[in-house]
Amino acid sequence: MSSLKIALPKGSLYDESAALLEAIGIEIPGDPGRRLTMTSVDGSAELLLLRPTDVPAYVEFGAADCGIVGKDTLWESERSVSEAVDLRFGACRLVVAARRSDGYHEGARYPTFLRVATKFKRMATQYFSERDIPCEIIALHGSVELAPIVGLADVIVDLVATGSTLREHDMVVVDEIAASSARFVLNPVAYRSKYARLAALCERLQRRVAP
Amino acid sequence: MRLPPGVRDWLPQEFAFKQSVEDRIAVVFDRWSYARILTPTFESYESLERGLGEKLMRQTFRFSDPLGEELALRTEMTTPIARVVSTRLRTASLPIRLSYIAPAYRYEEPQLGRMREFTQAGAELIGAAGADADAEALFMAIETLDAVGLADAQFDINDSAIVDGALVALGLSAPASRAWKEAIAARNLVDLDGFASRDGVRPERYALLRRLVVTRGTEDVLAMARELAPNPEAQAAIYRLERIFARAATLGFEKRIAIDPALLRDLEYYTGFVFEGFLGDLGFSLCGGGRYDGLLPRFGYDVPAVGWMVGVERILLALERRRVDERRSREVDVFVVGSDRAAMSERARGRRVRVDVRGLDRSAAIAYARHKAIPRVLIARGDDVEEILLEADEQSP
Repeated sequence: MSSLKIALPKGSLYDESAALLEAIGIEIPGDPGRRLTMTSVDGSAELLLLRPTDVPAYVEFGAADCGIVGKDTLWESERSVSEAVDLRFGACRLVVAARRSDGYHEGARYPTFLRVATKFKRMATQYFSERDIPCEIIALHGSVELAPIVGLADVIVDLVATGSTLREHDMVVVDEIAASSARFVLNPVAYRSKYARLAALCERLQRRVAP
Repeated sequence: MRLPPGVRDWLPQEFAFKQSVEDRIAVVFDRWSYARILTPTFESYESLERGLGEKLMRQTFRFSDPLGEELALRTEMTTPIARVVSTRLRTASLPIRLSYIAPAYRYEEPQLGRMREFTQAGAELIGAAGADADAEALFMAIETLDAVGLADAQFDINDSAIVDGALVALGLSAPASRAWKEAIAARNLVDLDGFASRDGVRPERYALLRRLVVTRGTEDVLAMARELAPNPEAQAAIYRLERIFARAATLGFEKRIAIDPALLRDLEYYTGFVFEGFLGDLGFSLCGGGRYDGLLPRFGYDVPAVGWMVGVERILLALERRRVDERRSREVDVFVVGSDRAAMSERARGRRVRVDVRGLDRSAAIAYARHKAIPRVLIARGDDVEEILLEADEQSP
């Protein structure tokens, strides 16, 4: 029987992903280091160690049968994968945030043409267009909170976990857009062709993370 | 010179491979007595639009002629065939069986298994309702994949009436139902769980529906469906699936077919029975189809229909991954130097003939034939023709 291919995100979600797999009986042979793939101790699963934003593509094309990825990554990718289980870790919120001094959080009006800095172009565009707020989206790749400080943008749309980054820069949440957490995702065809194993895996994960 | 994204050239060897697969498909279509049909590559947008869901509409290549009439490239073949049947074949006796192997066009992000120009092969059975017509579409698809060398393909079948019935039984409103169905079709259980608490569905009743959605099987699925979807439409659908299974068993297909209640395919297009064929080593389906009783009525002809199609390039991709080399090992049977009559007579015997145009002498002609793995050389010598046989081509079977 061919082994199950599981895409795992390197980086902040890796440790909890690996711990969860261990908890449901998929033993991982150790620290991945710089390896690209690892085989589980019993040989039943092959783990693909990927950049988080690449997980949806690997799963959509069936290069991986399933995988773990943050909902925030799924928002921005147009990949069609099945979201089977909310794994609940890696929780964060996507928010509109601004400098406290601008007072947007206390009802001050946005400028007539709002400049928005974000790594989440799709979600930001959708949020402001649904509210008929004319805006210009400035797509950035990191340190988004710098943009309002140097006058590049009026507000940011970014992920917030504890809120400490915002506080450090004297910024506040203006509105919440959505909540994110890690998801177990499936290739829809793999779910059919490897049904027995993938359905069992989903059920074990679901039970493990049930609130 | 570069090609625009999403289209490709087919060089001779690649084209021969594609052609050999299409030939095998055509044989199956012919043996099922589905006459081949071809419609224009483009026609009026207004006509093609009738078969298009929201997504396909966004993916349609549209343009206008110098008089301003709006035209479009076909995105699939079923809608043009529905137009033909409802107009020019309207007086033909029903059911009508038609097949096609033709390119179609969609504006989408080119990627593995998805091109802007691609070849679809498919069959439509128009004017017949019921499980026997549905089964014919399914069995033909199975035989087609067998014929191209993918006899391990699996087929999932379903009828959207089951999920519809189960949602009605939960007492959901139509708009809520729609969101549930989309989540079920994508097997997005995270969303589905959210809808269940938002819409206040009793947890024990939701748990049963959830189990139906994650299960793929045969009798067990039907048993769940019987209980969860008691309305007559769903019960009739369950009966039809049973009938298809019984017929499949007589052909030895039962192990290759399963029921997946979450298989809903295009919600705007299919009206009941649907199926999909796939392989264990390919992350996307190879073929699919189902009943589309709503399409012909949009052309003013109120008849039911069922059909299916397979992506030719996806078959090629699957075969290439298995390193099945369908390419002809020998492209030329005979090399002829200096005799038009010998060449003509060889062609008349059905051989692939290459004629020298460079005035090669005897030894150069033989060297050329060896280089090209051509097993026979005919060289004119006065009124005679000398035949030279080269050793058997090692690649030939």
